[in-house]
Amino acid sequence: MAPTGCPDCGEPVRPGDRFCEACGHDLDTPASAVQDKPRTSPVRWLTATEIAAACPACQGRSFSSDGFCEECGQRRPTARNHTELDLGVVAAVTDIGSRHHRNEDAVAIGVLDDAVAIVVCDGVSSSSRPDTASHAAADAAMAALLDGLADGDDRDASIIAATRAAQAAATVVAGSHPGPNPPSCTFVSAVVTADAITIGWVGDSRAYWLPDGEGEPSLLTVDDSLRNSLAARGVSGKAIDENPHAASLVRWLGSDATDTDPHLRTIAPETPGRVLVCSDGLFRYRPVVTDLAAAVAAAKGPPLTGAQYLTQLALDEGGHDNVTVVLAPYPIEPADPDTVTAAAVTAVPAGEEDPSEGSRT
Amino acid sequence: MTDQPTFTVEVHQNRFLPAGGTVVDAVLDVTASGTGPAAAGGPPSAAQVIMIDCSGSMNSPATKMQEAKKATAAAIDALRDGVAFAIVAGRGNADMVFPSTVSLVPANRQTRGQAKNAVHRLQASGGTAIGTWLTMANHLFAPSTAEVKHAIMLTDGQNQHETAEQLAIVLRACQGRFVCDARGVGADWSGSELRTVASALLGSADGLPDPGELVADFRAMTETAMGKSVAEATLRLWTPAGATIRFVKQVFPHVEDLTGRRADVSARIGDYPTGSWGAEHREYHVSIQVPANAVGEEMLAGRVSLVTGDQVLSQSLVLANWTDETALSTQINGRVAHYTGQAELADAIQQGLAARDAGDVETATAKLGRAVQLAEESGHSDTAKLLGKVVDVIDAPSGTVRLKQKVAGVDAELANVRSVKTIRVKGS
Repeated sequence: MAPTGCPDCGEPVRPGDRFCEACGHDLDTPASAVQDKPRTSPVRWLTATEIAAACPACQGRSFSSDGFCEECGQRRPTARNHTELDLGVVAAVTDIGSRHHRNEDAVAIGVLDDAVAIVVCDGVSSSSRPDTASHAAADAAMAALLDGLADGDDRDASIIAATRAAQAAATVVAGSHPGPNPPSCTFVSAVVTADAITIGWVGDSRAYWLPDGEGEPSLLTVDDSLRNSLAARGVSGKAIDENPHAASLVRWLGSDATDTDPHLRTIAPETPGRVLVCSDGLFRYRPVVTDLAAAVAAAKGPPLTGAQYLTQLALDEGGHDNVTVVLAPYPIEPADPDTVTAAAVTAVPAGEEDPSEGSRT
Repeated sequence: MTDQPTFTVEVHQNRFLPAGGTVVDAVLDVTASGTGPAAAGGPPSAAQVIMIDCSGSMNSPATKMQEAKKATAAAIDALRDGVAFAIVAGRGNADMVFPSTVSLVPANRQTRGQAKNAVHRLQASGGTAIGTWLTMANHLFAPSTAEVKHAIMLTDGQNQHETAEQLAIVLRACQGRFVCDARGVGADWSGSELRTVASALLGSADGLPDPGELVADFRAMTETAMGKSVAEATLRLWTPAGATIRFVKQVFPHVEDLTGRRADVSARIGDYPTGSWGAEHREYHVSIQVPANAVGEEMLAGRVSLVTGDQVLSQSLVLANWTDETALSTQINGRVAHYTGQAELADAIQQGLAARDAGDVETATAKLGRAVQLAEESGHSDTAKLLGKVVDVIDAPSGTVRLKQKVAGVDAELANVRSVKTIRVKGS
């Protein structure tokens, strides 16, 4: 059923509109960054997706239904250059970095009374409009993931449903004429509860288990890279390691993707620690797990502070790529609905931000 | 229900630009089909004026005048009931043939008969001043509220009794008021003159060396005009701030540069006239220069709509993606390349023939050689055949030719008037 009014500003919208003509609100996404679901258990989630009200290039405020500025033809931004999301028990920071002109990483975090949900999608830069795929995928995945978990589905089934929703959303943004390199992105999601951590992924964004104290830190995901797919078939060696294409992505989400079932992995650590979900913009600077664990160990304080610290680390070391960091402590404390302070730290009305703010170019 | 046909627009382009690239080319395939005049609401109202050359030369040979009369009668028979029409005799000035007053009358059994009788009595004598004929047609159409205003102009000779400047002034006055198909019969007409008239008045131009072809051609032109289901459509082009429109051309079925005919709707939007549409297919080549963008970015370089009145019949996007993958950015879209070649072919023929007329053998040989080469490459066999009457082709692939010493004047004029006719990409 098409909405009859914009959920953000209340102005009437026509069926089929993707954006509100009055305020530019994306009608496919929640009214505000915080989504309250009419369920028995409290479900809240935040996303970095934020369709800009004004064109960063020319300040024009009129956009076509296909997402281009009516004045200068530039594509409408799908998110800010820098966004911080904080739900207390889980927090995320995403930043454009120093080299890119657009933040193609997308992130969404959510909480139920007995679980924390995390989704990170990294737009594939060789595809067209990768940010449209990553944001659509992350938002669709989070909605589906929380739906599944709230309905009592098991974690694997919920993540599989989330991946399908993400793939469907990434396909839709390609439009009817996708061209040779349609929008595509990676996908990694995590469900953290009081007794287990479940990860699902497609592509090369990662999740890590980083125990407090003496335990062994570990990489929970295996990149869908050419090197790893050859290794899985028993092919390895120096020639492959030195091949510049060894790190190439072999699986992704998007309209041209054929193999999109997630890899799944669940661990049930006995000791407390932290779950880190991140894009390659962070781990490229700490490729060795123990080095990354050392950096995370130095990131003290609540999840948001830790995520800020690690993002800054990536930026200080060059910020060659978009960087996204999500931290959640394990095991989660059963949430008291009254104490969950759900707020997007950057909850400034869209478009009133200085367009250069957050840009590090 | 509406009697509007369905317009489909398909964009052919290579949207990928290299770093620093600024020129975006797209070919738009526009096909009008569907309901047509038979649908509810009926076809648009129409008016037609036929201008027959009645200069003295139409008697030599006498078949020209005889066939012109038969062709006009056939065109009159092809008029729908109720279509307002008039017949004009073209000489040094324009005389009304039917009706006798300067006005249009609705076609019915009686008026068709009267008109054909009047045409039958026509005598050839006097000169040729095309501008005065067109001025008369403009005058006749002026009070008409018909949605489709169509004229046929037939001449057998060159426009001797007025200057090119005088004709240009008349054409400016007529532009947008009616559509005119221009035809030359016999051997003495000027191809560039016919093209000038047809181009200004959004019609077709052709030469018919054999007067026997006139009847079928007049009937076909009239039937096409009667079959128009959209009276007037414009190509509406939105381009972003900072962009420059390099050109907007119709490239099929013939080359017509529309760039200079833009009517601004707003700073970002301009309308280009395309005349009336029946069930037909046309292609347009749009070339836009945009500011360079960062690699990885995508922008909207243009939005093309087909508009009639306030109604947008179709809309499509011309995109620009900047990439550092040379495999993508160096791909030339087949249609764009094809029509770029076809437009160059038309230019080469026209410039080559002009140089030949001016006695500049070197330029004529070079241009016509290039034309032969382009015609060969694109498989444009009709044009190749016409060129073969003007030059001796030594080697077509390399464009090596020699100017023929003796050329029938009409062959050069045919090559000229048909230089703008294009063919579609092979296999499409």
